[in-house]
Amino acid sequence: MKFTDKYVFVSGILLLLYRNLFAAIDKMFFIWQILFPVFQIYIMGYAYSALIGDQGINIGTSSISYVAFLTTGMMGFNVMQGSQIAGTIFWNDRKNGMFHQILAMPFNKIQYVIANLVTLIVIGLTSATAIILIGLPTIFQDMNITVWGISYTIFALVAGSIFFGSFTIILSTKMKSSETYNVFSNGLFIFFIFVSSVFYPAEGLPQPLSAAFYFNPLTYIADITRAGIFSHIDAFTNLEVLALTLFSVGAFVIATRAMVKLQI
Amino acid sequence: MKTSQDIPLTYNENENCIKVTNLKKQYGKGKPLVINGISFAVKYGTVFGFLGPNGAGKTTTLKILTSLLNPTSGDITIFGKDLFKKQSEIKRKIGVVSQNPSFEANLKVERSLDLYGLLWGLNDRKARKDKVKEILKTFDLESIKNSKNDELSIGQRRRVQLAREFMHDMNLLFLDEPTVGLDPSARRMLLDHIKKHVKSGLTVFFTTHIMEEAEYLCDEIAIIDNGKIIAFDTPIGLKQRYGRMNKSIEITFKDNLNEPFVNILKDIVKENKKVSDDDELNYTYPEITLKGGNAIKIKVNDIEKVISEIFLIVPKNGMEIENISVNSPSLEEIFLSIVGNSKDNFNKR
Repeated sequence: MKFTDKYVFVSGILLLLYRNLFAAIDKMFFIWQILFPVFQIYIMGYAYSALIGDQGINIGTSSISYVAFLTTGMMGFNVMQGSQIAGTIFWNDRKNGMFHQILAMPFNKIQYVIANLVTLIVIGLTSATAIILIGLPTIFQDMNITVWGISYTIFALVAGSIFFGSFTIILSTKMKSSETYNVFSNGLFIFFIFVSSVFYPAEGLPQPLSAAFYFNPLTYIADITRAGIFSHIDAFTNLEVLALTLFSVGAFVIATRAMVKLQI
Repeated sequence: MKTSQDIPLTYNENENCIKVTNLKKQYGKGKPLVINGISFAVKYGTVFGFLGPNGAGKTTTLKILTSLLNPTSGDITIFGKDLFKKQSEIKRKIGVVSQNPSFEANLKVERSLDLYGLLWGLNDRKARKDKVKEILKTFDLESIKNSKNDELSIGQRRRVQLAREFMHDMNLLFLDEPTVGLDPSARRMLLDHIKKHVKSGLTVFFTTHIMEEAEYLCDEIAIIDNGKIIAFDTPIGLKQRYGRMNKSIEITFKDNLNEPFVNILKDIVKENKKVSDDDELNYTYPEITLKGGNAIKIKVNDIEKVISEIFLIVPKNGMEIENISVNSPSLEEIFLSIVGNSKDNFNKR
């Protein structure tokens, strides 16, 4: 690809990103992305803390409070929750004729997919920052921010956005209607949420369930995010990074192929 | 009659904005060809009308020309360049208004025009703002500029969709039934606006069901049916070619018609055979209709011959003609005749 072609390709993605952020997404979505974690952290977090008591949760060699565990888990959860927007943008664009129109303009399907994923990354990183700021009182005591550690967290959020964004794109290209898409995605996301380490650690669970946790990329996103924020990066974290990379690349390739094959 | 096979493909490359050669499209193996080897050329600075009944292949052809669909086979050059090799370069110089509505539901009209300009690479904010102002005025959208797109009526939304396409400079505009949902004044305003742009060099590929529009706007017309181009000419050419065969005569007599005289007239009309066996598409089945007690309407292929025969028999039967008028068919009648005959031939096969 020549430099001018690359420039045109990237600038096309940026234009579509701008469009997604300022035209395709309802403002209520952004508000919900912030309000929901606040509710989870400050109500559910403290309510469960009362149930669990002072025993804390082990992260590597140290122990952190349940609210701190939940706050960092919510960052991963929010990335997954936000990825629904990739499917919503796609369905709305189809419903309102914009998908067809955009592809008749100087944009192609690959640019469209990447722009939707970059939109998710932007939303994911913004909402994660908002969660850190809002949940700061809950994690302040346990957090140990280092450049190395935060790069793991950022990686988890970016790769997680790519995985879940691609996943929702694959679903939306395969489903015949937005209603079917909603039923399927909501059902699968319940599995992702509850069979993951967002709300509780995988360690100590009965073996089949514990194994199922590690077939779920949301577990890797939550674990790596926590490891980064609390600076507990070990060999297992790196293994999770590798697994998440494979999940994300695989999902991205399938999503792009599904989109390219899609008949207009 | 010109058919897709007869259309000369020896134009100078520089004269043709679009050149399509032997285009075929099949949605999956074993399925019928929805586009069956069509060829045509569109000259620069002209409006090319692509007409046909529902399901004839118009929209599929348009989707292929705008790179939204890949053809099964065939060659397409636009601006003298291969569409499949230079797709992105070509797409930067074209505009597309599809038959289905398309709009940014969350945005107000003014903002959506501005965004559309930006997506088309109009980066200068002031230039974009000026262009939006001009478009709002031209398309009479000022009163709804602060309304959200999803609050607009179907006609208003259509107007915004059409107006939006003029936010960017283009050399070729594809319009797929663009006036659906527009009121007559908005329709006329749009057609005039297109005419103005065509005078400045824009080429337009236009599909429509409304023959008056095609007649008003198009320099050349191709009629497609069952995936094949069955007629291709200028609107006047089509009228001359097919209208000659499809004229009708209305004759009013001074006295009421009697049955023996009507039977003689029917015999004359029946004898009006088709010009030749090759001219299946031009052929209109002769028709005679009584209108009141003293008038008849006759539709035949060779009007001159029938009139001269009628003039001969009228005095012989003691009748007198009060009034006679010969009516040329409209483009719509010609379209119906061509498509109807094409269907008859298709069914016969």
